[in-house]
Amino acid sequence: MHPILKLLDNINLINVMGVVGAFLFMTVGILITLLIRKTDEVNQQKELLNKMTRSFNDLDEQAKLIVKTDLELNKAQEELDKRLSGLNSLQKTSRLISTTLDEEEIFHRLDQPLMSELGFEKNLILMYDADKKLHCRIESGFSKEEIIYILSQLEKERALATALREGHSFSSVSSPKVRKEKIMQLFDVEHFILTPILTQEGMIGIVFVGNRSSASSVTEGDEELFSILANQIGQSLENAQLFEQVYRSRQELESKIQERTKQLAFALEEVKKISKTKTEFISAVSHELRTPLTSIKGYASLLLSGKMGAIPPEVKDRLAKINKHSDNLVKMINDLLDISRIESGRAEMHLLPTQAEAMIENVRDLLTPQLKEKNIQFVSSVAPDTPPVFVDRSQFERVFINLVGNATKFTPENGRITVSASPEKNHVLFSITDTGIGINENDLGKLFNEFYRVENEINQQLKGTGLGLSLAKNIVEAHQGKIWAASQLGKGTTFYFTIPRQPPGKDTTTVIPTQKPDAGI
Amino acid sequence: MATHIGIGFSQEVNTALAATKAASQAQEQIQQDNIDLVIILSTIHYSPLEALLSVRKILNPLRLVGSSAAGIILAELISLRGIAVLAISSDEINFGICAATSLDTQDPREAGNSLARNAIADLDQPRRQAFIFFIDGLIKNNSPILKSIQEVFGNIFPIVGAGSTDDFHFRKTFQYYQDRYLVNSAVGLILDSATIRVGLGNKHGWKPLGKPRFITHVEGNIIRTIDHKKASGLYEEYFGEEAQSLRSAPMSRLAILYPLGIRLADEHEYLLRNPVSVLHDGSVVCQGEVPEQAQVHLMIGNKDACRQAAMNAAKEVKEGLGGKTPKLIFIFEDLGRQKLMGRGAFAEVTLIKQILGYDVPLIGMYCHGTISPFRTSQSIHRTHLQNENIVVMAIG
Repeated sequence: MHPILKLLDNINLINVMGVVGAFLFMTVGILITLLIRKTDEVNQQKELLNKMTRSFNDLDEQAKLIVKTDLELNKAQEELDKRLSGLNSLQKTSRLISTTLDEEEIFHRLDQPLMSELGFEKNLILMYDADKKLHCRIESGFSKEEIIYILSQLEKERALATALREGHSFSSVSSPKVRKEKIMQLFDVEHFILTPILTQEGMIGIVFVGNRSSASSVTEGDEELFSILANQIGQSLENAQLFEQVYRSRQELESKIQERTKQLAFALEEVKKISKTKTEFISAVSHELRTPLTSIKGYASLLLSGKMGAIPPEVKDRLAKINKHSDNLVKMINDLLDISRIESGRAEMHLLPTQAEAMIENVRDLLTPQLKEKNIQFVSSVAPDTPPVFVDRSQFERVFINLVGNATKFTPENGRITVSASPEKNHVLFSITDTGIGINENDLGKLFNEFYRVENEINQQLKGTGLGLSLAKNIVEAHQGKIWAASQLGKGTTFYFTIPRQPPGKDTTTVIPTQKPDAGI
Repeated sequence: MATHIGIGFSQEVNTALAATKAASQAQEQIQQDNIDLVIILSTIHYSPLEALLSVRKILNPLRLVGSSAAGIILAELISLRGIAVLAISSDEINFGICAATSLDTQDPREAGNSLARNAIADLDQPRRQAFIFFIDGLIKNNSPILKSIQEVFGNIFPIVGAGSTDDFHFRKTFQYYQDRYLVNSAVGLILDSATIRVGLGNKHGWKPLGKPRFITHVEGNIIRTIDHKKASGLYEEYFGEEAQSLRSAPMSRLAILYPLGIRLADEHEYLLRNPVSVLHDGSVVCQGEVPEQAQVHLMIGNKDACRQAAMNAAKEVKEGLGGKTPKLIFIFEDLGRQKLMGRGAFAEVTLIKQILGYDVPLIGMYCHGTISPFRTSQSIHRTHLQNENIVVMAIG
């Protein structure tokens, strides 16, 4: 090839190479620029990623804090929930068992889902019997065989029994390891509470609750809760036993009272029968006596009148005595007949409104000779607002005559008898007060008995039947009133009696049958 | 066309007495000679056989199912002890029932399939409205059974269920089926009607807490690692020493109150999983399956959120009923909620009644896990086994 051409070729090559080189240079430059830019971007991205990772990590750290706090809160909440549920169940259980005094019912009420509401799958209530042997009263979550085994093992575990007897509770949270493992093994649980049921007489039983699930652990709060429940059970059982004792005593007492009441009712019936017989006897005898007595008195009067011829004074004197004694006898028989009639209900009371003052004055007139004989002052004291009383006048006058007559008899000369009447709420109160010798307290209760006569000098000197006060009592009671006496020896006696303000049925002419509920007594 | 409903309940200590009282109350309310269906819900304090015999003796129903429960929910009360009996006599609803036993040894797919097919076979009509089932809550992973049930019924069919429980004792749950009581089993009830409508609501109210993490290794219901670290590390990070309780006892307080929340790709709600236990290597065992690579959060709930969730669930039910008046309300509520709500648990029932009606017969139970789809008011989605949820279902 020509050198010039060769040179030209070389020049072209150089140019081409230069162009290519320049192009390559530019391209590399652009690429380097791009690379630098991309590297920057990657670095920025990396930085961003690092920032994000850091943020995520920070977030995660915060999340760890949150989750730990949340866990604590959940634990606290769970414990609180458990406590609240426990307290709620405890309150329910306590209320249920404290509202019965029947031991069987207490166990029946405990044998409700309440025990499991307290959150335990295994429950036992073991009680000591009279022979100090443990018996199962309530169980859930155990088989019969397991219970027999547990009872036999507990009998052997003297140390455990002693500790329980001293009031110690055991639980999977607070017991020493060895003891805890023994109990866990015996009851086949992982968490438990074992607490004694104590009363003033000592340990009467044991409460056990437990869980096999490790998710349901117990806390010291649970232990306290079950101690309270066991105490509550102990108290309720003690109350039930006390009540049972009281109840039995009452039953015995009631049975004795019933027995005695029966005996008394029987005796009362007997007395009634006897009294009736007596009344009938007195009535019959009195009637039988009165007929011949009337003849005796009639003949004595006839002889005394001289119609049968003159009689010597000695005979006349004797006849007068016969007459007088006959009169006394007739009076006694009449009194007896009256009492008998009133008691048997055969006497009828014709009630009429009667002014107390008039009646008292009438009595004063009747008894004036006796009063004058002993110079006894008779005082009538009737309150101005005393209403008329509804009485059978003839019968009621006999009450006054008997009582004032008695007062006259036992009041020494120059004494005083006060007869008063005053209105009370439902009745009129009458009283006859004397300044006589008085009556011994022991005699006061017997005064109104038939034929009863107080032992004193006056009674020894003066004859009497002992029927006057009894008759007065019968008449007052036939008017629905009451009679009683108060006395002080040496100072005097007061007889009181009442008459209702209104007659039965408010009928002024009411006829009251005199049969009383206890007429026979 | 009428449906008669009677609900009885008793807390008597003696099983026979409690069951007799509950059945008698139900009979008194229903006032019908022929009982088509009885559902028994009883807490673990009672002998299931005795309860079953006593209820059958009084009501003698054509079909009977039931379950053990940790608590009974009624219109008037919530009780952690008792026997509740629901009796239905209806000429507008047909019932079909089924049972699958020996769930721990049987192939779960087979068990779920036969459960669903037997329920359908027990119906006279090919129509169906909803499927309710009770499954042993102690079975380690219920998800395969649930999946196979769904295979039979389809994804847009309402499947509702509850895990039978023994109140977290983890020993034995039971299910009632006709004249037998079963363990380690599932019993189901299918409803068919041309006239009724079923409303369904399902909510929990728990909220995610802290930064999101990812499940990096999972085997069915066992979460091996989260963010490539042992799964239990999540709880240890948050709770320190306290997290040991997850190992020492099944379903500890931490597990109940702070479940794992799994964000599902096709759902807006977090699927909650209680860690049932923690294995030696730090793997966390859940009651149901957990998807791999899913975003997971520690979840936190409170009483107010729970009440709000119950109310929202009831509102979904109302929407689902499409203006029909509810005749009966079922509530299946995870026991975890009861542990959180404590004494205030009944507030949820009050809110539900406020929305669905105070006079509507209501029966429910506290269970170990609920089974229900999310977003039930607009469309029925895939059914999930869930923890901490309240499922409200009403027949209108």
